[in-house]
Amino acid sequence: MKEFDEFEEFDNPIGEGRRKRTVSRESVFTDMNAMVDLAFLLLTFFMLTTTMTKPNVIELVMPVPTDEDRAEDVQPVKESRALTIVPFPNDELYIFRGLAAENVRELTYDSGELKAELEDFMAATDEPMVIIKPHPDSNYRNLVDIIDEINQSAVRRYAIDDFRETDRAILAEAGIESSALKKDVE
Amino acid sequence: MARKRGLSKKTPHLDMNPMVDMAFLLVTFFLLATTFKLPEQADIELPYSYSEVDIPETNLLTITVDRQGLIFLSLSNHEFRRPWLNRMASIYDMEITREAEEAFSELSGFGLPLEELKPWLRLDRKEQLAHESRGIPADTLNNELSDWLIAARSVQPGLRFAIKADQVTPYRKLDRVIKTMTANRILRFNLVTEKRTGDEGI
Repeated sequence: MKEFDEFEEFDNPIGEGRRKRTVSRESVFTDMNAMVDLAFLLLTFFMLTTTMTKPNVIELVMPVPTDEDRAEDVQPVKESRALTIVPFPNDELYIFRGLAAENVRELTYDSGELKAELEDFMAATDEPMVIIKPHPDSNYRNLVDIIDEINQSAVRRYAIDDFRETDRAILAEAGIESSALKKDVE
Repeated sequence: MARKRGLSKKTPHLDMNPMVDMAFLLVTFFLLATTFKLPEQADIELPYSYSEVDIPETNLLTITVDRQGLIFLSLSNHEFRRPWLNRMASIYDMEITREAEEAFSELSGFGLPLEELKPWLRLDRKEQLAHESRGIPADTLNNELSDWLIAARSVQPGLRFAIKADQVTPYRKLDRVIKTMTANRILRFNLVTEKRTGDEGI
């Protein structure tokens, strides 16, 4: 600032005092159109590129896998307190209590059927255990929907297990006619 | 009449200060709220859930499984990527150049068998994205995924794991990944979902 004043004085020897007095009192209008254009351009860009929703996560804890030499230590879940949920391809959903074929029921994913079923099961059983056995060709969305439903219910213990030959036999015995059931399970 | 039409020859001055203030305030807000994401190789449509747990931003290894079942990996912390690759290289007895290390630590994610990874790292970003992904092998005979997981956990203790899969990924593909994790005693992990707001339908 000082340097500038000195320079001014040198250039204009009449004196800085006079200059100051003649400064216009009118407010200065800056043409802000360009700046506004730019600001709105940036605003539009950021508004369009921002995604506000951050993904969330479902926490999952799997049991320790059973290998051959530990197989005897593993306690099977009592039939009476097990509920098995089997998601099938094409959004089919089967559910059964215990291991009896006559208990097999077909549900749909909407209208809270699964929720009602879980509540019913919770009320009827002590130490309930829910086992999800997804068919290999069922999709991930079905699995997440089921886990999400369980997490919202009062069920505290659940596990994901393989869809085995025994499960296929139960569903077949129950007279389920699904194209996915005919294929042999690996 | 003539007088009226020629009323104001001057351009009217509009006080734009408040508007500019507003605009820049919003720009600043969006600028700060935006997190720039590098383009990813896998195009994932996440399933929805009501879960309230936010995704951790650090110490996270994300295993992405796309709709074909191809597996991609990405490690959140930059500083661990280099030792991760080196550990992996030592498991497979591979030579890794400095340039490859450098390129790898800049990488947000990858999905290639290890033997293809080295030439791929030499490509530039555009070519990398255009390159056909083959996914990280996770079958029983050649389970590189397992070694990547072991290597990651050994260089970064306290690492968390997340599975990010597409809505229509068949369960058999996920089963491979989950089996690989549990076999390595990674029993606690996260499933990445999108927050359900109620109007997505099931």
